[in-house]
Amino acid sequence: MADDLTPNSCPTCAAGFLDRELEVGQELRCGRCSHVLKREGRIRSLHPAWAFATTGLILAALANSYPVMTFDVAGNTQSNLIITGVLSLGAQGYWPVAVLVFFCAIAAPVLHLLSVWYVSAACCLGQRWPMVRQIAHASERIEAWSLVPVFAVACVVAVVKLDMLGSVQWDLGIFWIALLSVCTFVVSQTFDRAIVARRLEELG
Amino acid sequence: MKNLTRVRLAQALVASGLVLYIPANVIPVMTMTVAGDVEPLTVLGGVQELYDSGLWPVAGIVFLASIVVPFLKLLSLSWMLLLHGTSTLRPHRAAAHRIIHQIGTWSMIDIFLLAVLAAVGQLGILASVQAEPGALFFSAVLLCTLFAAEVYEPKLIWETEETSAAK
Repeated sequence: MADDLTPNSCPTCAAGFLDRELEVGQELRCGRCSHVLKREGRIRSLHPAWAFATTGLILAALANSYPVMTFDVAGNTQSNLIITGVLSLGAQGYWPVAVLVFFCAIAAPVLHLLSVWYVSAACCLGQRWPMVRQIAHASERIEAWSLVPVFAVACVVAVVKLDMLGSVQWDLGIFWIALLSVCTFVVSQTFDRAIVARRLEELG
Repeated sequence: MKNLTRVRLAQALVASGLVLYIPANVIPVMTMTVAGDVEPLTVLGGVQELYDSGLWPVAGIVFLASIVVPFLKLLSLSWMLLLHGTSTLRPHRAAAHRIIHQIGTWSMIDIFLLAVLAAVGQLGILASVQAEPGALFFSAVLLCTLFAAEVYEPKLIWETEETSAAK
């Protein structure tokens, strides 16, 4: 038992720890700062992440092309896409806010899914595709800006508010947005960075 | 980026966030026109309106996400930066950083809400929603806190004089 313990130090707080082989479902946390040092996930391949990223991309396309809600006041009816709000904020002169919403609700979710798709596909197929390392790194950064679940909750609040102005009806778009939030979450959970690092090392 | 640059940049971002927090909450974020009634709404005003219509669970979510969360973020980031380099309450600071990282983005709810509402912008004269300058201040506060938390890495909480001198 003693020979599979290797001394190492935590990347966050530099406290020493003994590295050891983990069983499935276990994780090793730093005793000082509780940073997750490593984790042996139940899933040992990137196939699920690849599949969910593909699903997510399809859902993102649907969520952006179906109206989220239909609003009706005194006979004037309007159906809104996600981009409609962005465009009207832009038209009202608030383009910094419009850019922020566009980035967090449309661009970042798609870029996150695309990067996960590319990296997990490369790892699953054992292909040495260009820029895989950089894209794997970028996906980590962009993940924090993908805010579909927050957007979904904002839609619910908006419907409640619009109900005071006129009559509002849900459209199919909100259903795709809800599915997309779940899918984005599952992608983050299944895309195991430790496996990616190992595969990329094997590929060289 | 050097560690000292990171700390200075985070301090600057938090300071700007604290200053911008005041106009963000005082200036209206949007104007809602209902049946000819022009009603400018601040962030708190929007919450109040939801509460008055009896929807207190929704009002509670918006209140937490757009008023409490940004304020707590600014407070705990200032606290972390003030204690930077000392060894006081390090595990607590690390825990606070993790919490900030997880709940921080939920304050975007108000900006998204504005975007969805603004989509009805040009629906006749009876009902319209128009963005107001408060929205710019509010987004600026959010960006300041998000970037400050990103720049001030958890690693820096554990930085001591020996480790910083060694680098």
